[in-house]
Amino acid sequence: MPTKNESITQELRQKARHLLESGQVAAFLGYTSGSVPMVMKPFVARKPEDAERLEWNSFCVLNLANYLPPLLRSFEPPRRPNDPPPEGPLPKVGVAATGCWSRNMVVQVQENQMERERVVIIGISSRGMVDRKKVLNAVNHAEITSVKEEDNSLLVKGPGLEEEINRWDVIRDNCQTCVHPDPVIFDEMIGQLQGDRDIQDRFRQVEEIENLSAQDRWQWFTSEIDSCIRCYACRNACPLCYCPTCFVDDSRPQWVGKSREPVDTAIFHILRAYHCAGRCTDCGSCESACPMGIRMRILTKKLQKDVLDLYGTEAGMSIQQPLPLSTYKMDDPQDFVLTESFKGEKK
Amino acid sequence: MLDNKDFSAWLSRLSDSHDIYGPKKTRKGMLEWARLEGGQLPDPEPGVPKSSIKTFYFPQPETLFEFSARPKKEDAFRLHEPSRHQNPRLLIGVRPCDARSVVLNSMPYQEDPYFQENRRNTFLLGYACSQGCSTCFCTWTGGSPVGQDGLDILAFLLEDGLVLEPVTERGEELLEKAGSARDLTRAQEQKVDEIRQKAPASLPEEMEPAPRLREKELMALYDAPFWQELSDSCINCGTCTFLCPTCYCFDIQDETLRGRGRRIRYWDSCMFPLFTLHASGHNPRGEKIKRVRNRFMHKLKYFPDRFGPLSCVGCGRCVRDCPVNIDIRQVMKELLAI
Amino acid sequence: MNDKAKNQKDWEPKIIAFLCNWCSYAGADLAGVSRYQYPPSLRIVRVPCSGRVSANMILDALRSGADGVLVSGCHPGDCHYISGNYYARRRFAVLKNFLEFIGIEPGRVNFSWISASEGEQFAEVAKEVTSRVKKLGPARHLVKEF
Repeated sequence: MPTKNESITQELRQKARHLLESGQVAAFLGYTSGSVPMVMKPFVARKPEDAERLEWNSFCVLNLANYLPPLLRSFEPPRRPNDPPPEGPLPKVGVAATGCWSRNMVVQVQENQMERERVVIIGISSRGMVDRKKVLNAVNHAEITSVKEEDNSLLVKGPGLEEEINRWDVIRDNCQTCVHPDPVIFDEMIGQLQGDRDIQDRFRQVEEIENLSAQDRWQWFTSEIDSCIRCYACRNACPLCYCPTCFVDDSRPQWVGKSREPVDTAIFHILRAYHCAGRCTDCGSCESACPMGIRMRILTKKLQKDVLDLYGTEAGMSIQQPLPLSTYKMDDPQDFVLTESFKGEKK
Repeated sequence: MLDNKDFSAWLSRLSDSHDIYGPKKTRKGMLEWARLEGGQLPDPEPGVPKSSIKTFYFPQPETLFEFSARPKKEDAFRLHEPSRHQNPRLLIGVRPCDARSVVLNSMPYQEDPYFQENRRNTFLLGYACSQGCSTCFCTWTGGSPVGQDGLDILAFLLEDGLVLEPVTERGEELLEKAGSARDLTRAQEQKVDEIRQKAPASLPEEMEPAPRLREKELMALYDAPFWQELSDSCINCGTCTFLCPTCYCFDIQDETLRGRGRRIRYWDSCMFPLFTLHASGHNPRGEKIKRVRNRFMHKLKYFPDRFGPLSCVGCGRCVRDCPVNIDIRQVMKELLAI
Repeated sequence: MNDKAKNQKDWEPKIIAFLCNWCSYAGADLAGVSRYQYPPSLRIVRVPCSGRVSANMILDALRSGADGVLVSGCHPGDCHYISGNYYARRRFAVLKNFLEFIGIEPGRVNFSWISASEGEQFAEVAKEVTSRVKKLGPARHLVKEF
């Protein structure tokens, strides 16, 4: 019996091959395996036979939506900034998408980064992706040379190491607390939709920190980011980060110093996270890409929690629903405003 | 031969005059450079620490000079040297690949006073690797798990202590202060020999890519079709360059703040578009594929053409931590196949 | 700021106030013309609209050594640009919580609505913000030093 992921792989290859053969898409964006266990390579199949290299497993941790807008642009005729847009239909790209990835595609459509018509989305309802760092912790950072995946377990091998790990125990934090595993937009599905998951403590990680004193929160924040090497893997793995000039590269004014100094690193992480407010789908790409094991996802999760509490919306649930921070209501909460609290006192 | 207690006592004595660093496990479980005090020993984990030792030679950032930025002050905009680190540094548990990176980086930095000053001020006590990791490939780049390049002292770890071999004169001077070294027993001698022989065998078979790559025609490598697929996966972050011991590119910036100013030199990465952006707005490496190609071409072709060896020591950090599994070993094979 | 100054009892905080051109800046002007007394700790930056103030600017103020920040705009409904302050309100609500989440003390970064006719209100806000920041003492967390 093939495992669930093996069946998905088979079906994905078939669908991608068909899309490429029939000329419906110019390329198909998926994953292929590489040379290191538990790290998958995002892969662009450009010929029908490339489809056989596509693979699906629990290590597809980077958000494919991140690659879409530049990939789509690469199929457009070259033009200068002020040239009119090209006429006629442009080539399409196929892509595999889980719940959060599809929601990021919604955000990209809303923010005019791509057109819905130009992507053929093969939806996959997510069973959660594995956190490589959790697996490494589970084997006490011993060297791992191969990982075989079953539906509910991982068989991890290395020199002098052979261990079976329960799959759910090493699933990424964001996937464990994921409420919307189903793609919200798709053209075809592989497998069934599973419906929203009922998660009671989806913001537990955030609440734990909220309950600390201001001093302890600062302590937590600075010790979490102190190993940051400013490689910007978190930023570059994020489908929300597409500014032609990132604020870290601005020099007049220069918002943040460019080296590895505590205040600059802190400001980088604050602003990076804050720029994702109301847009982040908690896909966990940033955390998965970080070479230093920084849990910067808790920052964006906090923003997600507040936006949900204050405005009752989550990013990317539908193309029609505006992004929470690019809209407003007349009666939005404003007790945080000093002059409003004065009013309260006078009453 | 020093047992661990004597080794620790020696370090403890040295720590009066030296700042000592070595790899320690962090609370997140990864191995990272840490200050060792009071005779602390490094954690004897196999493999290289997360960061390379380049931070000690090529600090992130390095202040080149400082100045007062208050125009009305007497010394306004007069440059002065910052107070630099004075104590000599001793790095313990350096793996031979990392030590070799210092030798390689010294080639382009031959006349760089900051790098060379740090080099003079830093002593390296290396630990020979008894076993390669799956991401290690020093034997492909001209190194060896028991290599001495760049080290002052090479140590072989035994169960009850370590065998220290001086490599340089200044290493020998340091060792003289170690005192009570014991003679090797027969069994210990055998163990050291065993490491010397077995360690290289645990790694991929030796190959000499540098001379072969030097012979290749540059444009043929430049136009190779596989760059496209590589660039398709790359997210253009700086993980590989910042963790790499032999990536040495930098940028320079003046910072002013509350009436004071300084010029700093800090790490830059050829993966970032800003790296090559001209003031005119033109960017010769504006596309991702050009940046990805440049990193590998620099390490595997331009550097060997200019200096001889590859600009890679085979530590495997980029392989281990690349979020999208771009593997320089495969790039080497692809280039050699052309 | 050097340590000596920090220890001084008569320490006066430096507070950067981003005031919108159409309401709060005029409010500050009115406070002056009307001779309302308020502490001299505010450094005013005139901006076209509270919607113009980004998180980057607030953090830049703190990074450069400000002990506190005040952002003030028109009352909701009165924005010269119709809706600038409505957008700003959402962004600031989220930002304020977020800065407190990572350990910036409540009271360091403040927001208010002050109209062009509220000179007295402006003086009140200036006093309140100054006293809050004074209680917290000099800013430490995000001040860049070298």
